[in-house]
Amino acid sequence: MSAFETLIYEKQGAIAWVTLNRPKVLNIYNIRMRDDLFEVLGSIKDDPDVRVAVLKGAGEKAFCAGADLSEFLTAPPPVEARRVRFERDVWGLFLSISKPFIAALHGFVLGSGIEMALCCDIRIASDDARFGLPEAALGIIPAAGGTQTLPRAVGTAKAMDMLLLNRWIDAEEARGIGLANRVVPRGQLLAKADEMARRIASHDPVALALAKQSVVLGLDMVLGEGLHLEKRLAMKLGLPHCGAVS
Amino acid sequence: MSRKIVLFEREDSVAVITLNSPASGNAVTVRIISALKDIRADLSERPDIRVVILTGKDTFCCGTDRNALSSFKNKEALIRELSAAPLIAGLDRPTIAAIDGDALGQGLELALCCDLRICSERARFAMDQISRGEIPWDGGTQRLARVVGRGKAMEMIFTGTVLDAGEALQTGLVGRVVPSAELMPAAAAMARDLSLKSPLALRYAREAIYKGIELTLEQGLRLEADLYFLLHTTEDRTEGVRAFREKRPPRFTGR
Repeated sequence: MSAFETLIYEKQGAIAWVTLNRPKVLNIYNIRMRDDLFEVLGSIKDDPDVRVAVLKGAGEKAFCAGADLSEFLTAPPPVEARRVRFERDVWGLFLSISKPFIAALHGFVLGSGIEMALCCDIRIASDDARFGLPEAALGIIPAAGGTQTLPRAVGTAKAMDMLLLNRWIDAEEARGIGLANRVVPRGQLLAKADEMARRIASHDPVALALAKQSVVLGLDMVLGEGLHLEKRLAMKLGLPHCGAVS
Repeated sequence: MSRKIVLFEREDSVAVITLNSPASGNAVTVRIISALKDIRADLSERPDIRVVILTGKDTFCCGTDRNALSSFKNKEALIRELSAAPLIAGLDRPTIAAIDGDALGQGLELALCCDLRICSERARFAMDQISRGEIPWDGGTQRLARVVGRGKAMEMIFTGTVLDAGEALQTGLVGRVVPSAELMPAAAAMARDLSLKSPLALRYAREAIYKGIELTLEQGLRLEADLYFLLHTTEDRTEGVRAFREKRPPRFTGR
């Protein structure tokens, strides 16, 4: 187990657990967390032992309640900030990981919290989860991919609803619009995430990576091109082993 | 004459394709592909058949036949010879998948090629190719996410989990759930309803939706406009407007 200043990183067999660890401040995202996350994600990407990753938040109240506003007024000038953003492109790195990533979401999932969750492939919400994008009310826009990943996950209408109105939604509504895959009782959140992670980890990691690539890249193509991509990727796998009963 | 492994029946302008090898769960084989190719060729000469229902006897389709999978020594040949999705996706008219029982693996990939899906209460759905170390290769990684969204698609593809009818409805995988005994009547009623509409309008609506989604909005709007103005030249449009004014049901001829 490695302790970074703002994160905890643990490997359990083939499953990597990343815990946002600033519970006293609802795990809000600051520069240090960006740097810790950049290292941890690099680790997950490069470690051949890791097949699945799970992202969760420490503490009772929040997965992540957004960005650390106390840093905002001391931020570097925009030109500098923009350069740094792409030198340490933590969101680009996150989205480039070929391994399945599960988000286990409880309590407040706001702003950068939603954006981190949307960099994951599968989102499990506890029944107390509340999702929101408060950026508009703060005079900014989401900058961690939210304006791109949210509409692609839930459709434009629902994304506009949340973004323009700063309307927060509960776990059930999140599931209804496709923001969360499943809603579970709070006490079962980690067990469910673990169960799903184990199930995924039991499968061939090459097949998992190719499946993820096929879905993600394919959605940015016209269907015809996506179908060609799928076939090319499927051919990289050997002949199927048909012993297992499905 | 040997029992047909794929049935083709029609009533008026609705055709029903029934996978008919229930002993093997209607698993896809080279012979079934061959039968579907014949049916598609047939249908391309039958513009009078306006709607197609795809279903299976006793179950929908449990996936690719295991023996068929083991009979290929070369992955490329396997994919080429066992691909069935293009045959259904290329039927060029409204299609309804009526799913009673299991739609697993390639079976689900086939169902996803239809425009509409309805199922019985006992239907089960899974994209379970991962359990034999494979990824879907008959369109599943493309069509599933476009129907249920990427989050649910990832979960289904990575875990192979089975969805019941209720979850299928919730995620949009099917549009309706009915008791088993009512499935075919419901599909037939839906198909009949579609068959009474202008076939050209339906054809262009399908094109506008499927192609338009892949274009920028501006390009999609151009496509829609072009197709709309093409319909101005048809007899069906004249009949449609006239029937509306005369307060009677329209009679569309497809011209």
